[in-house]
Amino acid sequence: MSDVPIELSRCEGCRTRFLPTDGPCPRCGSSDVRSYPSPSLGTVLASTEMTNPPAGWAAPHRLALVELPESVRLIAIVEGPLPAPGTVVAVRLDGPVYRAVSEPVA
Amino acid sequence: MSVHVAAVGMGRFGKRTENQIDLAAEAAGIALEGIGRKPVDLLVAGSMMSHGPQGPEALLPRLTGRLGLESASGFRVDSASGTGGMAFHAAVLALESGRFERALVVATEKMTDRTTAANTRDLAASLHPSEVAAGATMPGLAALATQRYLERYGRDPAILDAATVHARSMAVRNPAAQFYRKPVTLPEVQASRLVASPLRLLHCSAISDGATAVVLERGTGPATVRALGQGFDALRLIDRDDLTTFDATRTAAQRAFENGHLSPKEVEVAEVHDAFSPFLFTHAEDLGFCPAGGGPTALERGEFALDGRLPLNPSGGVIGRGHPVAASGLAEVAEVALQLRGEAGPHAIARPPRVGLAHAMSGIGTHNFVTILGAEAP
Repeated sequence: MSDVPIELSRCEGCRTRFLPTDGPCPRCGSSDVRSYPSPSLGTVLASTEMTNPPAGWAAPHRLALVELPESVRLIAIVEGPLPAPGTVVAVRLDGPVYRAVSEPVA
Repeated sequence: MSVHVAAVGMGRFGKRTENQIDLAAEAAGIALEGIGRKPVDLLVAGSMMSHGPQGPEALLPRLTGRLGLESASGFRVDSASGTGGMAFHAAVLALESGRFERALVVATEKMTDRTTAANTRDLAASLHPSEVAAGATMPGLAALATQRYLERYGRDPAILDAATVHARSMAVRNPAAQFYRKPVTLPEVQASRLVASPLRLLHCSAISDGATAVVLERGTGPATVRALGQGFDALRLIDRDDLTTFDATRTAAQRAFENGHLSPKEVEVAEVHDAFSPFLFTHAEDLGFCPAGGGPTALERGEFALDGRLPLNPSGGVIGRGHPVAASGLAEVAEVALQLRGEAGPHAIARPPRVGLAHAMSGIGTHNFVTILGAEAP
């Protein structure tokens, strides 16, 4: 899996880094927010397999809470088997959602 | 100015044939009978699933018409699953303003005539759109928070089963509960199907119909309002530092305890919003009833039983009572009031309490409410 950077946001006020949002900095409320590229490998903090996903999604639908460098978190749709907490995954943006794939163990 | 709960109307939760106006009128009728039909000059009402074929958008005028309250003033509030808590707070503040004498607070929901897909979609309306876009649901996000909790404290998923068994054992005694006289065993919980791992069906609150009403009036009584507090948290789950706690609860509790010059140690009965069974622990910890991570041990020791150190969710809680979403937050206050007023009957806790706390949660802990009631005037 190639490590294509993904775009994150950094608050110039309090230096908090976060997933891009349509609002101001979620921590301090500053609107002085810049984009920056981040490595797209992250660690799974938690994951779940949903047997009754919302309409439009195939069952089972797997989601992971992933932590990228600088403690930025995102929720990604898991492709493939459910990764246990601690698993390293590659994340990519796909339209309005993020997708995660487990990295092969070196 | 003191305000107290003068009467409670707990309608039966579960699968009901009536529409939500009928359910609201039933609960309101019980509460109004409780004050001998004395005049009410304020109606505060709420419902979450408000865009159905029954036309409940006109909730307030339909209710005033049914209840003969056309001369009253009214407000409608909406805070997802915390609607009932918000409605109670709004009514208290309105009475404290001195403009009103007596308020009827009603929260109602009709869910069992809708498909699971429709309920899942509409419950997810209280989540952040970017998370919903990824196919997240309430159980899905609750599952992620639950897994963080289990990891953080090195716990086995069996604690989730124990929380469900606790809730259902309480509901067994409560005639208004959806699971009245329907206990479950640990093996039954473990055998229920996975909904969002590690959460199984019996770890999740049930789809229910139901309504709750209370009458608030100026003055004091066994269930006088001692303190209110509310708190917000980031709507996006990913913007929260720690998923093993709800900041909105901690903020609401801190404000309420400061507001009432009280401490968690003084609380003798509590109702918390366990929409998913592990939240019993999270809420007990966030409210200061036990240390972080200490909820499961407190439950194992019997501290939350009817005769325990702090009886927790004697009504059955959201898991045992059923979850007509808007009504749950008011049912939590109503249960505490019943306990304080000595009207809880078969689900009364062992020692008559002097101070009780009700906790309500909107969405996945986005906007939470803490209400403290007690015998002594503030």
